[in-house]
Amino acid sequence: MNDIVNLPRRQFLGTVGAAGGLSGLSGLTLGLFLPDRAEAAGGPATATAVNSWLTVGSDDSITLTIGSSDMGQGSFQTLAQVLCEDLMVEPTRVVLVQGGPTMVTPAPIGSAIGTGGSGVIRNNYWKMRDAGAIAREMLVSAAMARLGDSSRGNYSVSNGVISHAPSSTKLSYGAVAAAAALLTPPASAPLVPDSQFRYIGKTFPRADIPAKVDGSAVYGLDVRLPHMVYAIIKHAPTVGSTLAATPATPAGMVAVVPIKIWTGLGRGGELAGNVNAVAVVGSNTWDAWQGARRLSPKWTLPANAASLNSAKFFADAQAALTQALPYTAPNPSPLGALYTVDSSGDAVGLLKQAAIKLDVSYTLPYVAHAQFEVLNCTVDYVAGVKCEVWAPTQVAKSALTIVMAITGMTAAQVQVHTTLLGGGLGRKLEVDFISQAVQVGMAVGRPVKLMWPREEDFAHDQYRPMALMHVRAGMSKSGTIDAWVYRSVSQSIGAQRGGVLPPKGDGQASEGANDLPYSFGSRLVDWVKFNASPIPVGYWRSVGASMNTFVVESVIDELAAAYGQDPYQFRRTRLTDPRWLAVLDAAASAAGWNNALPAGSARGIAIGTAFNTIVAQVVEISGVTSSSIRIAKVTVAVDCYLPVSPGGIEQQITGGVVHAINATLYGRQTFTNGAADIQNFNRSRMIRMNEMPAVKVVILPAPATASRTAAIGGIGELGVPTFAPALANAYFKLKGVRQRSLPFFPNATMSD
Amino acid sequence: MPQLTLNVNGGSHAITVNDTGMPLLWALRDLLGLTGTKYGCGIEVCGACTVLVNGEPQKSCDMDVGSAVGKAITTIEGLSANRSHPAQVAWIAHQVPQCGWCQSGMLMAAAGAMKAGHHGAAIANEINNVCVCGTYPRIKQAVVGL
Repeated sequence: MNDIVNLPRRQFLGTVGAAGGLSGLSGLTLGLFLPDRAEAAGGPATATAVNSWLTVGSDDSITLTIGSSDMGQGSFQTLAQVLCEDLMVEPTRVVLVQGGPTMVTPAPIGSAIGTGGSGVIRNNYWKMRDAGAIAREMLVSAAMARLGDSSRGNYSVSNGVISHAPSSTKLSYGAVAAAAALLTPPASAPLVPDSQFRYIGKTFPRADIPAKVDGSAVYGLDVRLPHMVYAIIKHAPTVGSTLAATPATPAGMVAVVPIKIWTGLGRGGELAGNVNAVAVVGSNTWDAWQGARRLSPKWTLPANAASLNSAKFFADAQAALTQALPYTAPNPSPLGALYTVDSSGDAVGLLKQAAIKLDVSYTLPYVAHAQFEVLNCTVDYVAGVKCEVWAPTQVAKSALTIVMAITGMTAAQVQVHTTLLGGGLGRKLEVDFISQAVQVGMAVGRPVKLMWPREEDFAHDQYRPMALMHVRAGMSKSGTIDAWVYRSVSQSIGAQRGGVLPPKGDGQASEGANDLPYSFGSRLVDWVKFNASPIPVGYWRSVGASMNTFVVESVIDELAAAYGQDPYQFRRTRLTDPRWLAVLDAAASAAGWNNALPAGSARGIAIGTAFNTIVAQVVEISGVTSSSIRIAKVTVAVDCYLPVSPGGIEQQITGGVVHAINATLYGRQTFTNGAADIQNFNRSRMIRMNEMPAVKVVILPAPATASRTAAIGGIGELGVPTFAPALANAYFKLKGVRQRSLPFFPNATMSD
Repeated sequence: MPQLTLNVNGGSHAITVNDTGMPLLWALRDLLGLTGTKYGCGIEVCGACTVLVNGEPQKSCDMDVGSAVGKAITTIEGLSANRSHPAQVAWIAHQVPQCGWCQSGMLMAAAGAMKAGHHGAAIANEINNVCVCGTYPRIKQAVVGL
């Protein structure tokens, strides 16, 4: 029987009902409140979920249940070391357990938090610290009662052992955990001073790694159930199509199941209610896949299918750039609607008077996520009894919600298990694949695993939006940037999900273009919500920042070249924020910006921000061929305010750089008559080991004493945004050619 | 339906298939439950499905199960007991994996290169597998002592 403590609402959440998942352990259990993504983004706090869980067992075990998802970022381990700082326990002692989602209020066990926005650490740091401190003080209080000495100064804690100096008595946490559970938790407890940190700021071995080197780690695609069958998805190739007639089940197959786009999951031209796919069910993956290949369902194409071509999308975006009317206009243009994001002074007027004028356009393609584990989901549905779901999801609570909606079951009948994710990159923030698997499970009435072949994963993604940016800037003879006029055209990810846009438009579309810290005399930043493409778009690692930072930092470089100043110094003299300057200097210094390079090599620099972290990159290239650029070295300086795990930061930044290299050099999706052209890695090249540059990550130090009111920065997506402009700037330096559209090598291929 | 016997990780395994053209990858994963071998692309490009066949690295999506009969197949599960293969030890010491999806294939490719007599940096040069997380630098570090 667990001893469950109700914590004051200010810090933690109230009553906890039936305990789940930790039965057999006795001791002190605390429910922590971790904010979900909506709240972190500024939405209302839904103070209803206990979604992390700390148990100090009477057997001296320490268990931390965490509801976020692991897609390789190692944040479970990082949260554990934050907790341990104030709990005063070696982080390696903590057993980490994957939490699940629930609709129960208050939730009975560590439930899921959305994993996105580089948010796991930055949104939960202080809550984990408070939890550790409060638990520690409750345990010490129990020891004080046991020993009959209530003078706190006589006690100290080391690695979960409480020492009472006057009597030389030592009590382990486990020895007093049950007694501590009977105490009323304090509203707050003293935190370890930053100067005495033992764990925060250090790197600890990750608990997930051993299982990832022997094949025992269980990802979504590895889930196996008794009597399970296997389903392969086959979508209509053309966006917006619907199934004309349900095909007969081929010989040897278990079933062919029509798959509907569920309410709330319509995206762009893929409308909710449409049957846009079938699942072919067989006795194993290969047989089902062969069945799907042989099947030729009849699809009803949208009337405009022949016009759904990438060239047309770009032409329409070009037209929207100039023709879009303000979103408040009574007769809006069908191409798009204009939102003013940021305006100061008469930027358009000042442009005309500028001594040095720049007027340039940039284009970005649709880009697929290509996370390495394809979409998949396993469902065990028993009519009227239960629906159990295993999924590699970044949003287990959304998964639970959609499963309840599809099955009509109660939360008590539905169980969602978050598996390990073989990469997420934002694609697994969607639950389309989960909704499909549930439909198959209900149709076949036995356990089933649905898989998207790689070709389906590439061709039916919710892509990083294509975009067109038009930038005009004016400088004086003395090099002041007197006018900055930036207009972007892209689809709204939020609007495709039913969001109503505020007057400044979709904030994610203008990430990286808004609130730039450069000294601009005047500025006008606006955004056209592009309406003339039906292609589904979604959250792709670093979202809008990955798009706008490329353009902004390329244009800054163009201005430096036009003015004839070194691009690093040009930025330096037009930035005033000391943090930005420190990051820029750190990258330049670590990269040896002023050191001469051999002929055929060049460096480029860029700086930017996302999720409260400032990043500068220097990319050094050492050669260009017709099909690739040799990237020799990448130096990344990072200011996330409070770096918790330097090793984790280095891994995540390096991962972001690789993701950005692949996208910048090769990444794009195009459409012909509404169907995706690129379907596998053979036409979407990824760099290999021998192409990997040396990556040096410089982490700016934490403040002497971190403030609760200062924003901690994210890390997971931060390697991405500044890479593309730094590369393009190096390329310009080397070749004298300005790359204004990505990718660099759209026709690159890859074979074994 | 054809019945086949596979020699996997030192043991004989009888399987029944509808199609002897089934790639070894899916026989390992679905019929033998050896899910450590991963599917990445299915077109012999990415290497996530790499196993050893008679000691040599082989993309298991590129070998029919029928032609695997009579050959000694080693998967990540059979690389060692208790993660004791030197490459596994090095991978843990250097904390190589991030998401981990490509790592079984990376390790089998490294093990194959070692079997072929390569050492140190030469092992990394033999690995043509794709990682999209950014583990290449740590793999290069991990193979140094092998």
